Amino acid sequence: MKILVCLKQVPAKDAPIKVAAGEMWIREDVTYEVNEPDAYALEEALRQKEAHGGEVVALTVGPARAAQVLREALAKGADRAVHVEGEAAAQLDCFATAEAIARAIPGEHFDLIFTGLQSDDYGFAQVGVVLAELLGLPHATIIMHLEPTATGIRVKRELEGGYFQNVDLPTPAVLTIQSGISKLRYATLMGIKAAKSKPLTRHSLEEMGVTPRLNRQTITRLYVPARSKKTEMLTGTAKEVAAQLVEHLKNDARVL
Amino acid sequence: MRPFPGIEPPAVDHPVMEADVVIVGAGPAGLACALRLTQLIAAAGAASPLQPDQIVVLEKGREIGAHLLSGAVLDPRALRELLPDFPADAPLEVPVVDEAAFLFTERRAWKFPFTPAPLRNHGNYVVSLNRLMRWLGAKVEAAGVTVFTSVAGTALLMEGEQVQGVRTDDKGVDREGKAQSNFEPGYDLKSKMVVLAEGPRGSLTKQLSLGLGLAGENSQVYALGVKEIWEVPEGRFPAGRVYHTMGWPLPLTMYGGGWIYGLSARQVSLGLVTGLEYHDPRTDPHHLFQQFKTHPFVREVLTGGEMLRYGAKTIPMGGWFAMPPASGAGWLMVGDAGGFLNSQRLKGIHLAMKSGMLAAETIFAALQAGQPARPADYTQRIAASWIRAEMWKVRNFHQGFAGGLIPGLLHGALQQLSGGRGLWTRYGAEEGHARLVQLAHLGPGPKYPKPDGQLSFDKVADVYHSGTRHVEDQPSHLHVADLDICQDRCRREYGNPCQHFCPAQVYEMVEGEDGRPRLQVNASNCVHCKTCDIMDPYGIITWVPPEGGGGPNYDGM
Ligand SMILES: Cc1cc2nc3c(=O)[nH]c(=O)nc-3n(C[C@H](O)[C@H](O)[C@H](O)COP(=O)(O)OP(=O)(O)OC[C@H]3O[C@@H](n4cnc5c(N)ncnc54)[C@H](O)[C@@H]3O)c2cc1C
Ligand code: SF4
Repeated sequence: MKILVCLKQVPAKDAPIKVAAGEMWIREDVTYEVNEPDAYALEEALRQKEAHGGEVVALTVGPARAAQVLREALAKGADRAVHVEGEAAAQLDCFATAEAIARAIPGEHFDLIFTGLQSDDYGFAQVGVVLAELLGLPHATIIMHLEPTATGIRVKRELEGGYFQNVDLPTPAVLTIQSGISKLRYATLMGIKAAKSKPLTRHSLEEMGVTPRLNRQTITRLYVPARSKKTEMLTGTAKEVAAQLVEHLKNDARVL
Repeated sequence: MRPFPGIEPPAVDHPVMEADVVIVGAGPAGLACALRLTQLIAAAGAASPLQPDQIVVLEKGREIGAHLLSGAVLDPRALRELLPDFPADAPLEVPVVDEAAFLFTERRAWKFPFTPAPLRNHGNYVVSLNRLMRWLGAKVEAAGVTVFTSVAGTALLMEGEQVQGVRTDDKGVDREGKAQSNFEPGYDLKSKMVVLAEGPRGSLTKQLSLGLGLAGENSQVYALGVKEIWEVPEGRFPAGRVYHTMGWPLPLTMYGGGWIYGLSARQVSLGLVTGLEYHDPRTDPHHLFQQFKTHPFVREVLTGGEMLRYGAKTIPMGGWFAMPPASGAGWLMVGDAGGFLNSQRLKGIHLAMKSGMLAAETIFAALQAGQPARPADYTQRIAASWIRAEMWKVRNFHQGFAGGLIPGLLHGALQQLSGGRGLWTRYGAEEGHARLVQLAHLGPGPKYPKPDGQLSFDKVADVYHSGTRHVEDQPSHLHVADLDICQDRCRREYGNPCQHFCPAQVYEMVEGEDGRPRLQVNASNCVHCKTCDIMDPYGIITWVPPEGGGGPNYDGM
């Protein structure tokens, strides 16, 4: 099986994040790391390769610093890597990002394309889905488990409320992978050394004609929500108050 | 050599990797050593006895620089020798343009009429050591050296007194010490030469020193530097301005001082250095720094600004007489690990780099001669270099402060006049924690103001700004040999000073199930400053490297 894994570099989970001047995005002086669900996507791809053979290619769309996630993927066992590079990458929305990926892989004919379920920064959860659409492939989201079948693959999707769905798909297909479905491997020293001589192809976003002008979404403002406190007295009979309370717990607090 | 009592790592076979030179620590000392080696290789051409791919650097931080924190004012002397085209593309924030020293009392700041010679910084640069070393690290990697980040050296491979390599950390071990499904055993890196470049109080350096009984004529003494980076309104503090302070909030009996450096038009680095040799076990360096910021002089710089980053790290202050033998069979010490620091100028970067370069030259000469490196060779190179000239002049500086600030300044002046000698050729020094005084002999403890969340912060808020993270499911990397001492003797005698000296709130006394106070160790907060290993009064805390990649993230520090 030939598998493409799309990885994004995002601000580290516990980085002290600050809104940048202009209120359009965060300050860039934080540390970055691989987006968590993407790390599981890579893990799943490597496991598939170990079980069934094939090739794993890691791809990222990002500025120069994002090469880090590719080096890590190579060290963990990916066979080669593709860096779609450009400073504008951080301003691309999910559509333009999917476009960039699609334009970087003509003629590759992957059996499977994995992305993470969603990114820790924008949280669109759309790149994989849009990419499938652009490539004219079937897709399935929130994948917990997958195994090859005679005609393609069978996947287990996570639904809400503890329910799962099993779906049979033909290949090639695009899957968005859920976090926490396995235990991530560590790169070994041998792996890190070997990664240095693995092929890494670079494409420039500009040369591929992908710019934020392709975006279909715009951010108008980024801010930290002000903390507010509000007390509301529920009035009526005990029964009415209880009913109102349940509504609040369901719709406002969302704990029911 | 067994790592430390108490840890039983999973019994497994360790994969072996061969490398001629293993450098532990990618700080200025280790990176300068690696780069100098590649230069010697290039100069020797085909005849070189060493190849760049036979040099490996281990770094426990996630990235090169992740665990590097410094002031920092850089004396570019060593960097200029290492890279003749310096400064070229070096990420120096700004040249020092203006400097002054102040004596603080609680409300006032007295400017010294002139800047004392050792604090003069003409020709130096204000830098972020983190950024500078990421830049140098990229050069080292481009020269063909492998830098293994997120990999810690956990034990030395020894044959008798001969160091033969380094074992790296096991990965994927759970809290109880059991291998998990993604377990990866550490490697045994077999090597001809191990360079210990671990910075202050290195864990392998400590193992070796204990194992071989290495020590300088004086005990090494340390200070803890607590630092923040702030963004301030433009015009408050110009880029390239370098201010040092003495006095308040440190009592006159304590060694240390503050700094404010202008990194750019809108960013300042500031911090407070506290000597880890104070008497009162309730002293809290983090809180002292918070108090420092409330001084009218500092407040004026910071008001309306925002704290961006936090961190803390120790500094070896003992100077020339506290340096252990710098090399032996199969090993060399460079940088802070070997005590190469000028405490009078609070500068170690240039000495770390120079010692790394001299170590490289020693190793290369030995490989060329086809012989093991002779310890005497390294010692001679140091003695013949400006390292000795610089450090000898200030050999008694720190010890002069044993009685506090005023005697220290007087001794300092005397030493200045007598070429470093002062009243005695060698002023003695004992280990810092030995100076702690038991509570029974002390009055009420220091009172620190409550943090206001604007100008001053509690430890938890600050630690958040250090970007610290560890894999949660792993054995604690802080080994406390005897919890009974904490519960009973230490509580009575010293009031559990670990709660106070740790700048990351790792140690807390909480009520145990039996109703008695019990020590709780929040290991995942640890910023790797090593203070606890140095300052606990009974020497029962041992800091060992956690799983590689864990620790602070000192971006821009
Ligand atoms: C608050 C403060 C202010 C300072 N100000 C100045 C200044 O203005 N000017 C100046 O010149 N100097 C200053 N110094 C001193 C200077 O920063 C040090 O002397 C210098 O960084 C020492 O370099 P090093 O390479 O020896 O060690 P370090 O810089 O400490 O680097 C050691 C590296 O080794 C890694 N490491 C340690 N143990 C292991 C292990 N077992 N396995 C793998 N990796 C390991 C660490 O993570 C670290 O990256 C200051 C220091 C402090 C703390
Ligand atoms: S636990 Fe020790 S090394 Fe870690 S931050 Fe606290 S004092 Fe420093």
